[in-house]
Amino acid sequence: MAYSVKLSDYLDGDEDSVILEFESDSEIDELGEVDEDSSHSYSEVNEFSDGPSDKKDTGGSRYLDADQKKPSWGRGLTEMAYESSGVPKLAYSCLTTDQMFDLILARLERIQPIFEISYGDIIVMLQKYGWSEERLLEDWTEDQERVLVSCGLKLATSSNRSRGIQDHSDFVCNICCESNKQRTFRLECGHEYCIECYKHYIKDKLLEGKIISCMSCSLALKNPDIDAIVGDNSSQTLMRSSIKGFIHKHNNHYKWCPFVDCNCVIQVTNISALSEFPRFHLSPFVVCNNHHRFCFKCGLESHAPGDCQVAEVWVKMAQLESANLNWVLKNTKECPKCGVNIEKNGGCNHMTCQSCEYEFCWICELPWEGHGGGFFECTRFSKDEKNGATETKNSLRKYTFYYKLFSEHENSSKLDWALGLAVEQKVRALQENIGISWIETQFLPESIRSLIEGRTTLKWSFPVAFYSDPSHNLTKIFVDNQALLVSAVEDLSQLLQVKDPHDIIARKLEFYNKARFVQSRNRALSECGRDLLCKRICVPRG
Amino acid sequence: MSRAKRVMKELQGIKDDPEAKIDLQLVNENDIHLLKGAFLGPPGTPYENGKFIVDIEVPMEYPFKPPKMKFDTKVYHPNVSSVTGAICLDILKNAWSPVITLKSALISLQALLQSPEPNDPQDAEVAQHYMRDRESFNKTAAFWTKTYAPLNSHAEDKPVDQAELYGIDRALVNQFVSQGFAEAKVVEVLRRLGIKSMNANDNASANKILEELLK
Repeated sequence: MAYSVKLSDYLDGDEDSVILEFESDSEIDELGEVDEDSSHSYSEVNEFSDGPSDKKDTGGSRYLDADQKKPSWGRGLTEMAYESSGVPKLAYSCLTTDQMFDLILARLERIQPIFEISYGDIIVMLQKYGWSEERLLEDWTEDQERVLVSCGLKLATSSNRSRGIQDHSDFVCNICCESNKQRTFRLECGHEYCIECYKHYIKDKLLEGKIISCMSCSLALKNPDIDAIVGDNSSQTLMRSSIKGFIHKHNNHYKWCPFVDCNCVIQVTNISALSEFPRFHLSPFVVCNNHHRFCFKCGLESHAPGDCQVAEVWVKMAQLESANLNWVLKNTKECPKCGVNIEKNGGCNHMTCQSCEYEFCWICELPWEGHGGGFFECTRFSKDEKNGATETKNSLRKYTFYYKLFSEHENSSKLDWALGLAVEQKVRALQENIGISWIETQFLPESIRSLIEGRTTLKWSFPVAFYSDPSHNLTKIFVDNQALLVSAVEDLSQLLQVKDPHDIIARKLEFYNKARFVQSRNRALSECGRDLLCKRICVPRG
Repeated sequence: MSRAKRVMKELQGIKDDPEAKIDLQLVNENDIHLLKGAFLGPPGTPYENGKFIVDIEVPMEYPFKPPKMKFDTKVYHPNVSSVTGAICLDILKNAWSPVITLKSALISLQALLQSPEPNDPQDAEVAQHYMRDRESFNKTAAFWTKTYAPLNSHAEDKPVDQAELYGIDRALVNQFVSQGFAEAKVVEVLRRLGIKSMNANDNASANKILEELLK
């Protein structure tokens, strides 16, 4: 397929490049050029997996040995992974808010000659028109005067009052009710208030990204007015915040990164490819400059191996169930013998099940007899999770089981972010203390990225497992793959706890290998999960 | 600082204009943060001859942020919560502008009583009543005005007729009370089911009501 071998390096390439397109509804497909090296690499990938659904799968070998056939480059492995089987790839770039604004300006440059008014004024008009250039142009050609008046750029009736800052000796402001005001501001409408009140009024509105008008009527303040009143180049702040409206209008091309405090905007340039994804049970994942990975379609974080439908059904279900479930998980345990949920109502860990009268220890869930009495503190805590609950018939219990795992990995991911920050410090320490170059320390952040991506995949593999037919062979392979990724992730996670910088450098190779292993396991699990979906073994239902 | 001056001036402005029939007073002489406003129900509406008291909280950023207003007087109106008195009005939210005064906001509330916006309701039960049966709604709203907002404040001490209060057909309530159910319970169930009146031979509804009553 044409789109599979291109734009590979677009991501890593020049991030400053801004792609322009005039009509929002037209699609630009041809963007990057084919990179010799990467197309070569793709052919390598092509060897180990072809079409997603053209194999009768009976064994897990294709997932199990994926890492041996893995091509020898590191970064962006997961991005490349699906390409090989002829599935679509998204062409996108990550823009900062400044780049986004430049992009809007460049768009305006093309329509400005039609209006022959300043950019600031065009932005005011576009805001009024919800950023629909088509509607604005239509109305503009029909009646310029009317558009200018309706957007507050001009008074309906002519006025001989001057616009701008005025000087008085004794002015009473109707907003603050102070007298003796010297400096005031007014537009042609004549509604005049003191500079201090205007300043306060404008500052509150700068970040809303909407037109700021006179306090009494709809006449708009223009950029020079705002700068004259507030100073600090404030009109630029307003203009920049106006990109919110633009992104909202063009939300099939642009999306904000959903991660907290991340201001990245992702621009997809071949949106026609988007419609191709569901067919392959794939999701259009994108990665912003801050390495946040999310789904361009549903706006959730990366939810591989599940597709958008799995994620949606799961999230809905979790919302319905979680309030109940959280309480049950927090406050109760199942009787190890008969499975009834037991709420602990006192401090004593010596529990007696009301239904089967089994006596056990609350902490280790083993029979109380072996505790030798008297000791209310259990020292026999074992980490072994009980297996086999996958097969349970009780659907709530099954759901609880998976939800628990899901939320456990969610918590771990959060802790991994913290770990990520710690790693950053380690990197800095390495550079300063041992004098190693920046490039040589990059294995650390790379490892943490692999870890986080691995955890996220694990987390979302539980919904897939939940919706899958447990009796099917492939589901069993999937579960095995899960277990392999779990151990790979935990291994790497442990390695990242190493504190001593010299030790870290000494074990560089170990970092590399473990991170690679996580990546390949990650890819194997994702592919396996996608197979479950493609073969309708995993069917999400609410 | 400007807040104190502005509020004092607004208070003076209202005193200087008794024609507007708007009342505004500080709850506590030394605190400009809390006020009570009052206005008369607009004539020609079910709110006529009522005096409506509004609880006003002036935030620190006033007049750049809107004041918080809610009805102290119970009002039967689609855009006012019949329980809390909370008001749904755009100028008290995002359409606020520093030039709006407490007086003009109170006048806007008066206008809101005049022309409800049932499509943007605050109280869904009331809004539904308004949309479905205007005549019955007007009756109930007038009853609330008489009961909770009497102009001549010799408040009646006799207990309020619960059926009339929610615009429910008296005969319907009596029908179930005569079967031995407590009146309060009957009214509660009818409100929950959203039934104001019933056709005499509508057995399906009657059964549903009975079922709820027996729960």
